Amino acid sequence: MTLFAVAAKDLKLHARDARYLATLVLFSAALVLILSVAFGPIFRDPAREASATVWAALFFAGILGLTRALDLEGESGGGDALRLTGSDPYALYLGKTLANFLLLAGVFVLVLPLTAIFFDVGDLRVLPALLGVAGLALIGYAAWGTLFAALARGLKARELLLSVLLFPSLVPLWIGAVKLTHALWDGGSIEPVRDWVKVMAAMDVLGLALAAWLYELLQEAGE
Amino acid sequence: MILRAESIAKRFEDRIVLHAASLRLEPGEIVLLSGANGSGKTTLARILATLLQPDRGEIQLDGVPVSKRRSAARRAIGFATHVPLLYLGLTPMENLAFFGELSGVAAARERAAALLQRLKMDGFADMPLVHFSRGMLQRVVLSRALLGDPPILILDEPYAGLDDEGSATLNALLAEARLRGAATILIAHDRDRAAPIVTRACLLRDGRIEEAP
Repeated sequence: MTLFAVAAKDLKLHARDARYLATLVLFSAALVLILSVAFGPIFRDPAREASATVWAALFFAGILGLTRALDLEGESGGGDALRLTGSDPYALYLGKTLANFLLLAGVFVLVLPLTAIFFDVGDLRVLPALLGVAGLALIGYAAWGTLFAALARGLKARELLLSVLLFPSLVPLWIGAVKLTHALWDGGSIEPVRDWVKVMAAMDVLGLALAAWLYELLQEAGE
Repeated sequence: MILRAESIAKRFEDRIVLHAASLRLEPGEIVLLSGANGSGKTTLARILATLLQPDRGEIQLDGVPVSKRRSAARRAIGFATHVPLLYLGLTPMENLAFFGELSGVAAARERAAALLQRLKMDGFADMPLVHFSRGMLQRVVLSRALLGDPPILILDEPYAGLDDEGSATLNALLAEARLRGAATILIAHDRDRAAPIVTRACLLRDGRIEEAP
């Protein structure tokens, strides 16, 4: 199936690039460490500071991941070769989105325990809800990021354009992620900020729906 | 399958690269297209392969514009050019199996193994392409283009990097493709290597295609 074949191919390429993986892991871990030192050792509001740290690390690691994914398709004509297979463009998009999502989920799995340890916010009872929040945030990030990567493809300043487009688009998603994570670590429930779940879900659906409409156009408009 | 390019025009900024270039490629033909550096051969190849939109004109497969059935057209065309169109972090077998599966090639792995063996690359099937020399990479590039036994082959400088034995194998593969009715356009500077299999020669000059002697 096209979707899973594309995702598996992207993840295999990421996994074989030790330098890239090391950069991603060290960057994320270093960011958590630096912010924990900056906010600590006596935290004023550990839940708030920890939630900001997690999502800051995810945002910047995500930019690294998306830029690398963009390079993979450009460096030896892989993106053109994908088009030449005659596959459904939306299936290609979903495959790339799935790979980006899984990569970001891997970074989240690394960043979460580090943050929990450094900020002392580890409450396992909220873990399932926290994974749900992460799912919503990372699906949206991967969906929008993969779409914008297609838009930036072929441009000289593609990395810059990707960041410029992603930042404003993801603001609602990231505010929601920080507020929900904070609510979970602070009071154990998302009730006070429950509406952000709807905002994030809407952003996810919007990103995936826009891609269904635009991805093929962007792919074909590369030159 | 008949490939027809009708009055193709393409310009990049102020430079007109193609100006009403027309070509008809019939089953069983192997057409050599030559031209000076910068004459627009690669641009034409990318347009024929549906990767680049012409500013004017139309590409048809069996009388149907490729824009009307892009997916089917792409599966009917085997394309190789200067850019490998492969993932350098994957092995030849992984690349060919991946692209074969996506292109709907039946028994893609078996077909890939047979092509790699034919092109003497079976000993390197499980080594990432990033370690390959130019000639080795070119053999994998050609394997990808030939993988699905496409009825149309567009090969841009296919002899680049190949040694004499590799060129002879390629010519044998193209001759076999011709026998099963495939139509091939060879874009090559190296006329001598292509000469044994070519059925017709054309020249791209001033953005137009002329029959060559």
